[in-house]
Amino acid sequence: MYRAVKISKGSSGWGGPLIIKPTDQKNKIVSITGGGIDPIAEKIAELTGGIAVDGFSKGVPEDEIAVVVVDCGGTARCGVYPKKRIFTVNLTPVGQAGPLASFIKEDIYVSGVKESNIALYDGEAPEAAPAAKAETKSTQSQAKAASEKPAKKVGFLTRLGKGTGKVVGDFYQAGRDTIDTVIRNILPFIAFVTMLIGIISKSGIGDIIANTISPYAGTLPGLLGISIVCALPFLSPLLGPGAVIAQVVGVLVGVEIGKGNIPPQYALPALFAIDPQVGCDFIPVGLSLGEAEPETIEFGVPAVLFSRLITGPLSVAIAYLFSIGLYDS
Amino acid sequence: MDILAKIAEGFIGLFQAGGETFMGMVTGILPTLIVLITFVNAIIKLVGEEKVERFAAKTSRYAITRYTIFPVLAVFFLTNPMCYSFGKFLDEKYKPAFYDAAVSFVHPITGLFPHANAGELFVYMGIAAGLQTLGLSLGEIAIRYFIVGVIVIFIRGMLTERIYAILVSKNQAKEA
Repeated sequence: MYRAVKISKGSSGWGGPLIIKPTDQKNKIVSITGGGIDPIAEKIAELTGGIAVDGFSKGVPEDEIAVVVVDCGGTARCGVYPKKRIFTVNLTPVGQAGPLASFIKEDIYVSGVKESNIALYDGEAPEAAPAAKAETKSTQSQAKAASEKPAKKVGFLTRLGKGTGKVVGDFYQAGRDTIDTVIRNILPFIAFVTMLIGIISKSGIGDIIANTISPYAGTLPGLLGISIVCALPFLSPLLGPGAVIAQVVGVLVGVEIGKGNIPPQYALPALFAIDPQVGCDFIPVGLSLGEAEPETIEFGVPAVLFSRLITGPLSVAIAYLFSIGLYDS
Repeated sequence: MDILAKIAEGFIGLFQAGGETFMGMVTGILPTLIVLITFVNAIIKLVGEEKVERFAAKTSRYAITRYTIFPVLAVFFLTNPMCYSFGKFLDEKYKPAFYDAAVSFVHPITGLFPHANAGELFVYMGIAAGLQTLGLSLGEIAIRYFIVGVIVIFIRGMLTERIYAILVSKNQAKEA
């Protein structure tokens, strides 16, 4: 017998409240939080009578998922499940963000959730309605539908006009998408990064960082060391989310290159040294986007993590070879 | 009083420096970026997803293209994170390796084609900004980042495919 819970947004969160009641078919509370079952998922499972599953090490078929619990910083995971119309609880207080922002809606997504935001709910629980899916494809399919209407005999000029109209429309939509990305994803990150740079460069923290990072980032063994640390299978899923850490380190290394503390020919190997963990937090989600079976996910996660331990340092070495002749003075 | 004023000045100074950097990035990086991303987005719309899918499916057959051209097409046309959905064209045994290859390309592609992963530009742009401060041109490193990226994802794909096969066969041996 399953019970319904009401999950509301946390103090700085967004979306919801969601009413979730598992069924015999959909009874898994899937926690995709870089390994292990998050206490929030545990609590939801306990209250509803559902089964908490570590989605990072064990694949779950989509039609068995009652709700997923993620800790996404605003790039990918927070949008992937709403796009599939699966209830999504994000522990990080992120609103409609990332490339899939348009799929993140109040009826399917809630963020910033703490344990106190979860309560038993009396009354009927509505099912997640896949209905909205059709609507989200709006602009593109509308445009297509318009062009696919039964073609009467149309003259050359009409066709030319229509064709031009479509091209112009596509370009205009491309512009709209671009500005949307700039406002949603690029400008916020610039704001964050420049604040960081300002504080670091003016407060003197910069000198400390320069003295600690530069010796590592300015030599091949140092870069190899960084890449091995980032590729450690228990660390890499934690360093991954949103590539925030890789981006911050990228900026810091960039500042040091600009000041001349790290030679510019190390820029290319450095790009690979700070990035062996890319996507390690996202493996189960990425695989399920590719319609992988649960068993594939179960073995795919460790396969990728182990592979990185070897290919991480290897990528630095290759990049080092390829940077020969780059920015040689 | 003087001390207080000094402290206030220092405090504001932290953010003035940040503001200057912000202006620099907005005027220096954004304009070209916006036009470039618009252009590529338009191309993708004009080509259409079906055509890309049909062509990409063909490149998934051979190992050498499966972990090079195939993921590059996926990342270029579908961008992060929808690019991983191209895994659906592959056998189960290739899916983890393809994911590994595709996800490892979402940063090396940003040097030349920032539209593919606009939310995570600063892995490359952070370091590129440093090179720009020194007055160095970015074309060289963007190209090399792309090429080394392709080589690395090929190696990653091949190796992950092998490791995955070993893990699965070990498990089957255990169950038998």
